[in-house]
Formats: sequence, C-alpha cells, structure tokens
Amino acid sequence: MKLIINGLEQELGVLTIQEVVDHYGLTGKPVVVEADGVVLQAEQWAATSVHAAMKIELVHFVGGG
Amino acid sequence: MADGLRIGNIELSSRFFIGTGLYPNPYVQMEAIRASGAQVLTFAIRRINLESTEDDSILQHVQNGQYTYLPNTSGARTADEAVRIARLARASGLSEWIKVEISANERTLLPDPIETLKATEILTKEGFTVLPYTSDDPILCKRLEEAGAAAVMPGAAPIGTGLGILNPYNLGLIVEDAQVPIIVDAGLGSVSDVAQAMELGVSGVLMNTPVAKARDPIGMAQAMRMGIEAGRLAYLAGRIDKKRYASASSGLDAFKLH
Repeated sequence: MKLIINGLEQELGVLTIQEVVDHYGLTGKPVVVEADGVVLQAEQWAATSVHAAMKIELVHFVGGG
Repeated sequence: MADGLRIGNIELSSRFFIGTGLYPNPYVQMEAIRASGAQVLTFAIRRINLESTEDDSILQHVQNGQYTYLPNTSGARTADEAVRIARLARASGLSEWIKVEISANERTLLPDPIETLKATEILTKEGFTVLPYTSDDPILCKRLEEAGAAAVMPGAAPIGTGLGILNPYNLGLIVEDAQVPIIVDAGLGSVSDVAQAMELGVSGVLMNTPVAKARDPIGMAQAMRMGIEAGRLAYLAGRIDKKRYASASSGLDAFKLH
C-alpha cells in the first residue's frame, strides 16, 4: 500500500499504524505518530488501520533550545 | 530561607533552564547539563529520518524522571503549526509543558507576537503549561500572562547571537509588572549577561548556545550556574544607588591625620 510517511511516498505491506512503527524498528522508542492530521496515542496504534495515501508523520525529540 | 521557583505545579530549586542542542557530543552534553544544575531541559520535535532510524532521539541520553521536559515548537511559523507540534509533544507522554516558539523571519528568528499570543490562548485552554518565548515588549508580556502563560520568556537578543540584554529598561518593566515568573530566553552570551538578567529581577534564564558552543561547555555550564546564583543573591540583597561623586568608605573627616 502507498503511504505518505514524513512527506515521502512509501510502499509498505502493512495494515495498522503499529505495523508502520514496527516496520521502521521504532517499537519501544519515544516516537509520536500523527495520521491524517490526528495525533494518536500509543494505545491507539494497533487499532488504527492504514489506508492508501494516508499521511503519516513519525516524529521524535531532538536537541533544541 | 528557601528561594524556590514555582512554574505550573512544579517547584524548582534551580533557575537555570538549559537547551539540548549543538553540543559537540552526548557525553559533553550530559556532563554540561549535570554541571548546570538545571532541572528543566528543552527539546525540539522533528520528523524521524526514515533512511536511518538508529536511535538518535535525544532522550536516550537523558535519565527519565530526573528532569522536567520543556519541548519547544521551533519550526512553527503560525499559531496553528505551533499547536500541532505541541499536541505531538504531549502525545509522547513525557510532558504537559510547552515552549511556544513561532518565528516568521529566518534571519532574525524573532518571535511573531500575534501568532505567539494566539497559540498561548489555545494551548492554555487545552490544559498545557505554556511558556511562550516572546519579544521583550512589556505590554505583550502582560497580554501573554493574561492569556494564561505559566511563565513568560522574553528574549534578551535574537536566538544564538550572544549579544546580551539589548533592552534592560524593557526587561525591568516586564519584571515589575509580572504576576508570573519571567524567564529570559535567548540572546545571552556570557556570565555577566546572566548575572545582569538576574539582577534585573527575572526568575530564571534559559540558555543553549552560550553553553553548548563554549570552548569548554562543561566549565561554562558551571560558570553560568554560579552567575545565575550570584545575580539572584545580589537582586535579593539590593544593590547600592549610583552616585555621581565619591563618598569615603573609611569614616569621619574629623579623625583624619592632618
């Protein structure tokens, strides 16, 4: 399925947000997910299905002032 | 007597808020943070690089529970963008605090006052503890306080310039009027700058570049900590008035030997 992840088109064989996170090896890391403009709590990942052209943002904390 | 600082529902004993960017390496960063005595750490939120999802999150270097996290909304150019970043930050479960930072000008990175006020209003209503980074305008700072800011953070000078306090008069007025803590954020460069800020009566100081880019960040973190403490003590102790002419410190003219 074609997804837009962090602004880039990606072709992934996944069904849920949890599987997207797993795909990038981010499970258990301090990652936050936004799907189609909605911020998802980690508990919602497994129950949130992805759909074609879904816009997903995977973000984290970096150094800053 | 304890001279603590309360922001939102958190009691702090350190008046130093330290940033986590620009250090030469994670070891120096952690040692500098330790030397600073800071209890509040700032961060930014960015997209993960999908090409290399090695754990480059800053949090891997910071022990959980020891610090209060103050994520910023840097990169936002509008209130809506800042609100979006704030919601992402909160979803991490690490902090309800947010530093509103909205810059519309790449060259100066000066905060957009109108968008900053708008974002502060929205985020306060959503239950965030909001600390807006703002320009050093006394009326604007008051408006941010009235909008629900838990602390207001006027800049001393543009971010990363190290120019020091460009308008000490304004900063003094801001402190005089404030009912919430005033934290000087951005533009400081040296220990004398931070001591001056504290002598003006601000409640604390937020710094990143002057520590991270010093030749010895760990030594500078400690020096800044001492400058903040010295400035705070001096503010509480009350400096003498300035006079035009000399006044002898060794007693009465009547006992002079002549």
